[in-house]
Amino acid sequence: MILNPKKISYFVLFLLCFSCTKPIDMDQLDDASLDSSYLFTLIHLDLNAPNFLDDFNQEIAVSSDMVSIPKLDDLHPYLKRAEFTVKTENSFNRNFTLNILFYDKDQQLIYTLKPVIIVPSNSSELMHVLEIPENDINVIYNTRYFGMDMSLWNSTTGDLIEVTDDFEFAVKSSIKLFFNFKKA
Amino acid sequence: MRKLVVLSSFLCTFFISAQNKQVLYDFAELPQTLLLNPAVDFQGKFHFGVPGLSQISFHGGFSGFSAYDLLADNNVGINDKIRDIYQSFGKSEFLSFNQRLELLNIGFRRRNNDYVSFGYYQELDVLVKFPKDMIDLYYEGNTVLNRRYSVDKLAAQAELLGVFHIGVSRKVGEFTRMGGRVKVYSSVASASTKRNSGAFYTENGSDNIYRQHLSNIDLLLETSGIKLPSDVELDQPYVQRQFLFGGNLGLGLDFGFTYQPKEQWEITGSIQDLGFIYYTKNVESYRIKGSYQLDGFQLDFDPNTPDTYWSDLKDDFEERIVMDTIHANYMNFRPAKLNGSLTYSFGRKRLDDCTFVNGVTPYTHKVGAHLFSRLNVVHSYIAATLFYERRFGKIFSTKLTYTADPFSYANVGFGISARAGAFNIYAITDNLLGLRNVYAMQSTNIQFGMNFIFGAY
Repeated sequence: MILNPKKISYFVLFLLCFSCTKPIDMDQLDDASLDSSYLFTLIHLDLNAPNFLDDFNQEIAVSSDMVSIPKLDDLHPYLKRAEFTVKTENSFNRNFTLNILFYDKDQQLIYTLKPVIIVPSNSSELMHVLEIPENDINVIYNTRYFGMDMSLWNSTTGDLIEVTDDFEFAVKSSIKLFFNFKKA
Repeated sequence: MRKLVVLSSFLCTFFISAQNKQVLYDFAELPQTLLLNPAVDFQGKFHFGVPGLSQISFHGGFSGFSAYDLLADNNVGINDKIRDIYQSFGKSEFLSFNQRLELLNIGFRRRNNDYVSFGYYQELDVLVKFPKDMIDLYYEGNTVLNRRYSVDKLAAQAELLGVFHIGVSRKVGEFTRMGGRVKVYSSVASASTKRNSGAFYTENGSDNIYRQHLSNIDLLLETSGIKLPSDVELDQPYVQRQFLFGGNLGLGLDFGFTYQPKEQWEITGSIQDLGFIYYTKNVESYRIKGSYQLDGFQLDFDPNTPDTYWSDLKDDFEERIVMDTIHANYMNFRPAKLNGSLTYSFGRKRLDDCTFVNGVTPYTHKVGAHLFSRLNVVHSYIAATLFYERRFGKIFSTKLTYTADPFSYANVGFGISARAGAFNIYAITDNLLGLRNVYAMQSTNIQFGMNFIFGAY
């Protein structure tokens, strides 16, 4: 008889007594981290001459608009930095300054993305990459409005924008959020 | 939160698994084998299981990784381990859990030699399949343009139910037995999501740099017995009623056969839980359906227009991606299980002329192969087993199995059944090789029970 009850009992006893574990280290979970990044389409605009003229066809030096956004507290503390990509096209014969702005719940300005974008006159597509660095990222959590200011530079030739001008100023943008998921 | 997810995932490794009972199948004429194949030639005249203790079983497994894969103390950085685990994932991974507690198991032989058995058990069955795309989206982000992150393979089913069953095993020919079992399911709580579809992707846009899509999203989560009316109190009497035919009812059938082409050869086959549950009570389902594409916010720089960009986008999104709460009845099929085996028995004890033999003396050794398959819309899989069964007189029976399944290609199982008079006790487990390092086990399977069997051999 190859096997008998006594041998089986020994076998079971062996299993019970000698099942074992190799060492594991639970504490290393504290060091677990994961870097990933997510891309989101953001704001775009396509403005013509009338957008820069008031009701009396006078030039508007500064145009502003803003978007209310939901609370982003859930991203804390995993969001490490945010990278904005802005593409501009300008067929006006005037330069523009473009500011990307962050406002709190009271619509008070709390942050301006640097550097300020200068869009040269008669420029084809230009790409600008701006970043909220890790040191400033907390501003995101207080932001409730995200806005843009456009400043129209004075004409160097004295020409004024006419309502019939066939000029176009276009902005496209996206944001890439960089996360590091780890124990808070 | 992330750590909690990781911890939960590897804890599932210990507590979650498949539903293959490869050791128990056709083992030692235990009454519980009748639940796996109602045609089994049970040798007793009468049996009853110790109430609440005749079968306690747990099965658990996770196909993705083991706790040791993640937490081994081996000088490999945790983040490298996470990356290795991530890269080893297939197109989809699944985890499953099955727990069963038998409360009643009784059987008796009729005068025509049919063996009738009936009983009641409680079962919790969970199966979750998640697609690699979702893990990719979490692990890598969405910065790869035109990469479609699909939810097509996302599926899950969880069911807590009570099952009353009655079956009969009948000899229908000189070498053939047939068996059948009728089951009445009483579902206490259920949640399932199947046949989901849709994808998220980002592509180069025209109005903006990127255009993002939620494409043909169709997600359906059906629940019953989870969201209860306010006048229902979730107390013990309520739960007992739900288990005892007060829940959502269903009907199932098991069929099986055994065939002995030669005395020492036997072919068996069975199908279990060929049935459904129809959900009519405390039903609440949720469906999300639609498509949406987003170019971002188009600013108009009109000082006369109030800022409604976000609310406009939200309204537009909710109009195109519609979430409905549904209170319609629905039906779910139970996960069917298929078993098939081929066995060869040998080593019958030789008797001399003076020995009086009343009845059949079983063979001492049995070898064979067993195939198992679980068929379900959530996830189907197959397992193959080779086994050796050894009988030691009337007292001991043992069975050793070697199984290849989705969790392991080397799953060694062991079962032992002992009798003292009519009293029978058995214990079964598998993944014995995993005992070398229990943290590395991706599945486990434990069964234990006690019966009283009268008139066997």
